[in-house]
Amino acid sequence: MATRNRTVVYRRHRDAVKSVRAPLFSSASGSGGPVIEMASLLGSNRSSYAPLSTEDPGPSRDAFTVGLPPSWVDDSEQVAANIQRARAKMAELVKAHAKALMPSFEDGKEDQHLIEALTQEITDILRRSEKRLQKLSASGSAEDSNIRKNVQRSLATDLQNLSVDLRRKQSTYLKRLQQQKEGPDGVDLEMNLNGNKSRLEDDEFSDVGFNEQQTVKIKKGQQEREREINQVVQSVNELAQIMKDLSVLVIDQGTIVDRIDYNIQTVAVSVDEGLKQLQKAERTQKKGGMVRCATVLVIMCFVMLVLLILKEILF
Amino acid sequence: MVLVSAVRDYINRMLQDISGMKVLILDSHTVSVVSVGYSQSELLQKEVFLVELVDSVSKSKESMSHLKAVYFLRPTSENIQHLRRQLASPRFGEYHLFFSNILKDTQIHNLADSDEQEVVQQIQEFYADFVAIDPYHFTLNMPSNHIYMLPAVVDTSNLPHFCDRVVDGIASIFLSLKRRPIIRYQRTSDIAKRIAQETARLMYQKESGLFDFRRMEVSPLLLVIDRRDDPVVPLLNQWTYQAMVHELIGIQDNKVDLRNIGKLPKDQQEVVLSSEQDAFFKANMYENFGDIGMNIKRLVDEFQQISKSNQSIQTIEDMAKFVDKYPEYRKMHGNVSKHVTLVTEMSKIVEERKLMLVSQTEQELACNGGQVAAFEAVTNLLNNESISDIDRLRLVMLYALRYEKESPVQLMQLFNKLASRSAKYKPGLVQFVLKQAGVDKRTGDLFGNRDLLNIARNMARGLKGVENVYTQHQPLLFQTMESISKGRLRDVDYPYVGNHFQQGRPQEVVIFIVGGTTYEESRSVALQNASNSGIRFILGGSVVLNSKRFLKDLEEGQRMARSSTAVV
Repeated sequence: MATRNRTVVYRRHRDAVKSVRAPLFSSASGSGGPVIEMASLLGSNRSSYAPLSTEDPGPSRDAFTVGLPPSWVDDSEQVAANIQRARAKMAELVKAHAKALMPSFEDGKEDQHLIEALTQEITDILRRSEKRLQKLSASGSAEDSNIRKNVQRSLATDLQNLSVDLRRKQSTYLKRLQQQKEGPDGVDLEMNLNGNKSRLEDDEFSDVGFNEQQTVKIKKGQQEREREINQVVQSVNELAQIMKDLSVLVIDQGTIVDRIDYNIQTVAVSVDEGLKQLQKAERTQKKGGMVRCATVLVIMCFVMLVLLILKEILF
Repeated sequence: MVLVSAVRDYINRMLQDISGMKVLILDSHTVSVVSVGYSQSELLQKEVFLVELVDSVSKSKESMSHLKAVYFLRPTSENIQHLRRQLASPRFGEYHLFFSNILKDTQIHNLADSDEQEVVQQIQEFYADFVAIDPYHFTLNMPSNHIYMLPAVVDTSNLPHFCDRVVDGIASIFLSLKRRPIIRYQRTSDIAKRIAQETARLMYQKESGLFDFRRMEVSPLLLVIDRRDDPVVPLLNQWTYQAMVHELIGIQDNKVDLRNIGKLPKDQQEVVLSSEQDAFFKANMYENFGDIGMNIKRLVDEFQQISKSNQSIQTIEDMAKFVDKYPEYRKMHGNVSKHVTLVTEMSKIVEERKLMLVSQTEQELACNGGQVAAFEAVTNLLNNESISDIDRLRLVMLYALRYEKESPVQLMQLFNKLASRSAKYKPGLVQFVLKQAGVDKRTGDLFGNRDLLNIARNMARGLKGVENVYTQHQPLLFQTMESISKGRLRDVDYPYVGNHFQQGRPQEVVIFIVGGTTYEESRSVALQNASNSGIRFILGGSVVLNSKRFLKDLEEGQRMARSSTAVV
């Protein structure tokens, strides 16, 4: 697709205009020539912004006043940073999952611990970010409420994607873990029992040993599975809570709410509505009984005063 | 895909090199351009946290210098004025200006004059000056479309504006495709000729450097034709999904506004019908009403199954699966409600206006012969009390367009009957349409009764019978596209501009219909493209018509023609 850059032409003309304007203004200001600071070119590092207000505004407008971004921007940046951290942790988690699934000689308990710790951490980060995100809407002025709402939405979408991702990774890991556990023992422990019964006739010696060994294995398997199930329940609960809270904020893709022109319209409508409400409030206040009462009282005061004076004069 | 992806590419390039929080400022035209190709959530991902219209930016006083402003406007004089005011007292930290078409040097100078604080970082021309509603269909959403009907002597002030806008739109299409075409136009239409010549002048003389792209073996073809060559297609009632929704309810920039139609829940009052985002719509947009009903029923059954399985959650795994699939479930729910609502409302309208009856006669008038039978049918429907005024008017118009020369007495009878029945519409409108688009003014063989080959084809079709009486009409555009594919588009009817010439068949064709396109024609184009004939067709127009819009344009045109003759 073709584009054309006109910046060069523009800059040339702008400089030409500036040099025409400069001799007119250098006589007005004392210092040699106006210095136009392009504070906006300080780059995207917002924390380096500082108010560069000039002492004498003057006709040449020497510096462009750059203000600090509003305070809620810090909150949103925190949430964004948290999301980045959570992503990094998820990558670690994936590695830990892969390691735990690899066949090894040890019990794999520390792998389990690591995985649990990581999962807990990520869920914590997600929950904290979500709470901070909710707070975002409360603070700040009315003017940039739109921007705040949009920032909220964007971060909420990211958070939700992350939590869905985490959930999916967890479930695949558990599925594979279960497959592995059942793998070396055969298709199913129960099946093995049945299979074993048929072998009872064949081998009298081995079946006793098998039975004991299997009971032990079954018990251990059950305990482990119970623990895992509890863990799954807990994480599912947490994630469901997070997703429920976030779903209010997230935009459904493909619907009318996701359309740019619809959002512009609703802004215009709500601004109009706001104006109407303000005007109505003003009118009611003017018409209000309070004003009338006060006026009446003041008039009464004057009347009484006049009567008093008259009484003094006449008597 | 090609048009939508061009717009998306432009917007991506606009936003990608600018870091930090941004505000996107559009005007009333570019809002449509951007909204059909880009969604709000995608903007949020690119850190655009506010979208405003250029005329409302000046009203707010708050300074937001931590935001960078990205302007995407049409280079009109009003927009330049707004910009000058805003540059003089800037609200944002940085200003990046993108224009959707070619800037004049004076405009650049004006902007540079106002930019005392030097906040503008770049000015670029990104040629996305058209609304890409479907992969091969674009529109320009022009407000005063009816101007094309007036001859140049009548309206000297607005016609140049109209032509300029059209030329700009066409130029931006070819700039975004990076091609320079051979141009042909419809001989009988003055405005088509004017637009074709001005486009040629722009591409080959005024901005020949800008359009100097790598030459392929075969140049693409731009064909500029006039709506009045096929006035039948916008008058017909439609029975394929997308065309039907536009005809009965109205689609604007892929949005359907159902607020006036009836009492609907809040989230169904305005819906989006976009083939890019809705897979069901993409599969069904060209299907006829009966098939759509069946497909929707299937969709609803699927959905019911899924929701039933969602309700029976017994194990932990079920619960986990539910939480996983909830977003998709919600999306499907919204989609199903949307289509069910649309089809229900349309069925209601079909019932009320007895459209099955009316449409049958319409299709007969448009496709088959038999003047006597047609006259009878139209008279019967005019006498029928439950037919609405607009449908009566359409029937008489179609009859008049078809049997203009045969039996003028009966035509007069129909006019009188129409006048007596419908208070709102006057028969003068039908005469106006005949004056604009009558048989003497048309180039193409609209009813297939001009040359022997077409007559024979029609007779054969009549004997064979049609699959579906309601969708038997083929727009004239279909024949035009066939002629182009075979390389047999007649020079006499569609001459070349200047000394252009093309040997053989083109591989890319852009057809621009001055006066507006219809969804029936865009369907024809899409089906033709899908048939892999080796040629890619793109269709565009000044607006997208339905019968209401076409009649309104006719009324406006008639009113202006009358007022001008009164003056003269």
